[in-house]
Amino acid sequence: MLRRTTRGIAGVRDIFGRLGLIAAAAFTLAGCDSNTAREIRVVGSSTVYPFTTAVAETFVNQGGGRRAPVVESIGTGAGLKRFCEGVGWEFPDIANASRRIKKSEYQLCQANGVGEIMEVQIGVDGVALAEANNGPRLRLSKQDVYLALAANPLGKPNAARTWRDVNPSLPAIPIQVMGPPSTSGTRDALVELVMEPGCAAADPQANALKAAKDAAPYDTRCKRIRDDGPYIDKGENDNLIVQGLAANPNALGVFGYSYLEENIDRLHGVPIEGVTPTYATIADGTYPGARPLFLYVKKRHLRAVPGLADFLTLYTTMWNPKGKLTQRGLIAAPDALRAKSAQIVAQRAALDPAGLH
Amino acid sequence: MSKSLVPQLPTGPKEPDAKGSWRAPTDWTTHAMQKRIRRRYGAERRFRFFGLAAVSLSAAFLAFLLITMVANGWRGFTRTDVALPIDFPASGMLIERAQLRTPAADLALAGAGLENAVKGAAATAFGPGGEEFISENAWLRIRDAIKADPSILDRKMRIDVPASTEIDQAVRGDGNAEAKATVAKLQQAGALSRHFNLDFLYESDSTDPVAVGIWGALKGSLLTMAVTFLIAFPVGVLSAIYLEEYAPKNRWTDLIEVSINNLAAVPSIIFGLLGLAVFLGSWNLFGYQFGPLLPRSAALVGGLTLALMIMPVIVIASRNAVKAVPPSIRDAALGIGASPIQVVFHHVLPLAMPGILTGTIIGMARALGETAPLLLIGMRAFIVTPPGGFTDPATVLPVQIFLWSDEVSRGFVEKTSAAIIVLLVFLLAMNGLAIYLRNKFETRW
Repeated sequence: MLRRTTRGIAGVRDIFGRLGLIAAAAFTLAGCDSNTAREIRVVGSSTVYPFTTAVAETFVNQGGGRRAPVVESIGTGAGLKRFCEGVGWEFPDIANASRRIKKSEYQLCQANGVGEIMEVQIGVDGVALAEANNGPRLRLSKQDVYLALAANPLGKPNAARTWRDVNPSLPAIPIQVMGPPSTSGTRDALVELVMEPGCAAADPQANALKAAKDAAPYDTRCKRIRDDGPYIDKGENDNLIVQGLAANPNALGVFGYSYLEENIDRLHGVPIEGVTPTYATIADGTYPGARPLFLYVKKRHLRAVPGLADFLTLYTTMWNPKGKLTQRGLIAAPDALRAKSAQIVAQRAALDPAGLH
Repeated sequence: MSKSLVPQLPTGPKEPDAKGSWRAPTDWTTHAMQKRIRRRYGAERRFRFFGLAAVSLSAAFLAFLLITMVANGWRGFTRTDVALPIDFPASGMLIERAQLRTPAADLALAGAGLENAVKGAAATAFGPGGEEFISENAWLRIRDAIKADPSILDRKMRIDVPASTEIDQAVRGDGNAEAKATVAKLQQAGALSRHFNLDFLYESDSTDPVAVGIWGALKGSLLTMAVTFLIAFPVGVLSAIYLEEYAPKNRWTDLIEVSINNLAAVPSIIFGLLGLAVFLGSWNLFGYQFGPLLPRSAALVGGLTLALMIMPVIVIASRNAVKAVPPSIRDAALGIGASPIQVVFHHVLPLAMPGILTGTIIGMARALGETAPLLLIGMRAFIVTPPGGFTDPATVLPVQIFLWSDEVSRGFVEKTSAAIIVLLVFLLAMNGLAIYLRNKFETRW
């Protein structure tokens, strides 16, 4: 007993002694360097994430001892909010966005002293509606999608339970659409590109409401997605939707085109207005769900953050139709647009806020 | 010993009991009595059955988890290599040999167009489209080979490089017909080989599933855990000792006790918000703006946040361990003239150590598996290089698993399972350490 205890004392004293030493070392480390040169920081859309990470990886693999960029996938809305919180080492340099920055977001940036920002379109993506290969082979119009998914189509709560309720020419299978949550840019794009035009087609009052000063009635009628079951929120994890479609052949899934391309042996795209989502239809804009993908860059960080300008230049070399990013599922923008984006990067041209809404 | 303590056998009425009445012996053979006995045995059997069922159910879930993980994950530890013949002199790369021994070697080789040279070599070797058979990061392997031995630039070589995801999947009998035909062709040429993928344990995150590794996340977890331990253990143990040995028992200490017990049950996401506000937030004090104290995504911030989370667990476990030390040990030590602090550090703490360590390691295991608070402080990030220190951007094992499960490429499915296996092994090692320490320091009296 006595021997045990004495050994215990020595042991405990030793442990505490060492702990103190290591803790002291850790805090000296922590205190020293937060303000010196830091790595590039990118936040935002999960749709742009695979492309920005691919560029980040190439950026490091090119050598030259660059610090690895840090890319966080938190959704377009959350990303732009963090981006606009201010300038300085603790704020991100680039925001990935799967939609254009809103005027309110730009104003937030200005209120926080972010200053000029650059808008670089990196390519195009399609909001694809897809079903399993053994699915019902639906062919939908924007109006069908709107009537099936809106919370209040034509101003009344949505009572449609099967696709036939929406359009008599469709089969009587239950409406089940798995998609991303409300923080997602993909869902915003679905609303903007499919639901709103569908609303305009289905509802004669839509245009009048849109022009009205009070946006709330238009939003509830045309933009809100139903939450009574048929629209299934699957979170930001698009692979869960892919797995869900494989398990449930009657369901449709909503995700970025790259996921459809990767799983093309299991899934196929649902034609909207007769146009199937493919590389060609999205690239030339005939597919209704085509949308641009953007990077937003703080001009004031360009000189302060080492390598940021190189990173953007590298991005411009990788977004060509035969480039590395297209292999990862990005759809290259038309030539003229790519040239314009490359010019913005080269000349560090700032975004003109007049065109935003 | 008085006679009344000896139990009476129900053999028959021999003497009156205290009240003076005769008690009839129990007749075990009657129908009612037999039924009662059967019921009692039945209850016994049922209880055993339910207990066994409960254990079997948990064992079945555990077995299901382990079997699916191992079945999916073992393939994540293997890799298909393609033997790529490459003719360096014919590739036309202009490389300054002297630079290959300097830190600028990577830049020089990348600048010389090694990536395209490797793709070209694949196209020559396997026909048009051959560059699709090798991984996008295959040129990094060749870069390392050149750096290790620059003399290979003067000759033709066959170098094993990782195959692309499509080929890798097709080798496993998964994937499209075209890829399978390619694999058959390559196998005939003897160009394919399968290896244990040691790189998985040395590399960091990548966008290419054949090039990813777990080391970046594992190192991030180790750094985070180190910070958590260094903060939570001393603070937790000292609070426990103070509360148990020194603090007066009054309303205030009761309040503290209740608060600690409550904190132990607070959801981890709330600690994430706390960490975000305290370590990464900025606030105005006396007209001065105080910026964030620490950089985002750093292991230091993660460790501090998790330390806040597991501290209550350690305090509770340590208090129980200190409480379990018999008072006679304290009395004896005080009796031979030890000061209170000597009593605590020479006698109570060593005896309580096994319990304290067990509690600490259980808390650490919880912290190791935690994702929610770390998402908020920016450790959910893609980082190509492993963290170099406590303030470098880092990610941790469970977050890495979460990130890979969300990746587009299907090659990540088995990598996710492989990462889960690494996490489980790490947890197993920690729990093993807990058992070892407990047995080593345990004292019986």
